[in-house]
Amino acid sequence: MEFRIKKCAAWAGGLTNENDWKAFANDEKKLEQLTPLPLLKQIPAMQRRRLSPFAKLSLQCALEAAGDEMGTVATVFASRHGDLHKTSQLISNVALNEELSPTQFGLSVHNAVGGQFSIFANNKAPLTATSAGEDSFLMALTDAVCKLNSNNYDSILLVYTDEAVPEIYQQYVMQDEVSVGAALLIERPQLNEINFQLTMKASIKDAVESKTMQVFDFLTFYYNESPKKLINSKRYTWTLTRQ
Amino acid sequence: MTVLSDEVKNLIIETLDLEDIEASDINNEDPLFVDGLGLDSIDALELGIAIKKAYDVKIDNNSEDSKQHFYSVKTLCDFIEVSKK
Repeated sequence: MEFRIKKCAAWAGGLTNENDWKAFANDEKKLEQLTPLPLLKQIPAMQRRRLSPFAKLSLQCALEAAGDEMGTVATVFASRHGDLHKTSQLISNVALNEELSPTQFGLSVHNAVGGQFSIFANNKAPLTATSAGEDSFLMALTDAVCKLNSNNYDSILLVYTDEAVPEIYQQYVMQDEVSVGAALLIERPQLNEINFQLTMKASIKDAVESKTMQVFDFLTFYYNESPKKLINSKRYTWTLTRQ
Repeated sequence: MTVLSDEVKNLIIETLDLEDIEASDINNEDPLFVDGLGLDSIDALELGIAIKKAYDVKIDNNSEDSKQHFYSVKTLCDFIEVSKK
């Protein structure tokens, strides 16, 4: 499948703007382990108070990438773990027989951040929330491009977010995780512009989970302007190219 | 009463993450919901649980009485005082 990227925004490990990410992609800057959160002062305080760190990462990138289209663009929100810090807090409350916070409970579903985006942006366009293990980022990109084509949209917004999992889950995670938000405003391919191609096939036998989060492979490819990038996961071999 | 009302105001601010608001910004008589402080129905549930926890009072969900108890800081304090006895 082929597509164009109109705008890319990402926020992780102290890297927050295009220059940071270019430096990261060219090995001139490293991701810090901790991700300071965006302030999101453009969101009214009464809405902002309900944004978790996960939601702040998502909305920062979503709003920056969507720009003027935030009120109209269709969206795909993707995350491997979702807002797991919130979910795991609720599970602890249940285990300890404590009362659950109605606010936290109401915002613990996978599409909650999409809902918060749509309320702030007054956006009534179709919205999906997806998850696909370590392939969550590239599967969501596949999903977004399919929706763009089948619905004949002018553009579609992909928003991907994941946080380093809570401590009790860390033993189950193979990847080097850094809390990250990334958003792409995607269009159909255009003549005389740089377009991207993405293909996937089943992985080779005995493939293992990648140590690197897919989103960082993608951002490196996008910002260092290399012509081609292979990304292997346990289940798939992905190929990204640009022309 | 004054001490309790300050306590309740701080509980509201803390429980509902009202980061830009201080206790002195909330008037005892002003409505908490919609107009006034601008809280919504999820806040009502959240606040109900917090008040229950902090003051060990029983709150009847959805009753007309509860609506009146949660009208303002003053009505909430009156309710807590009466219920504690």
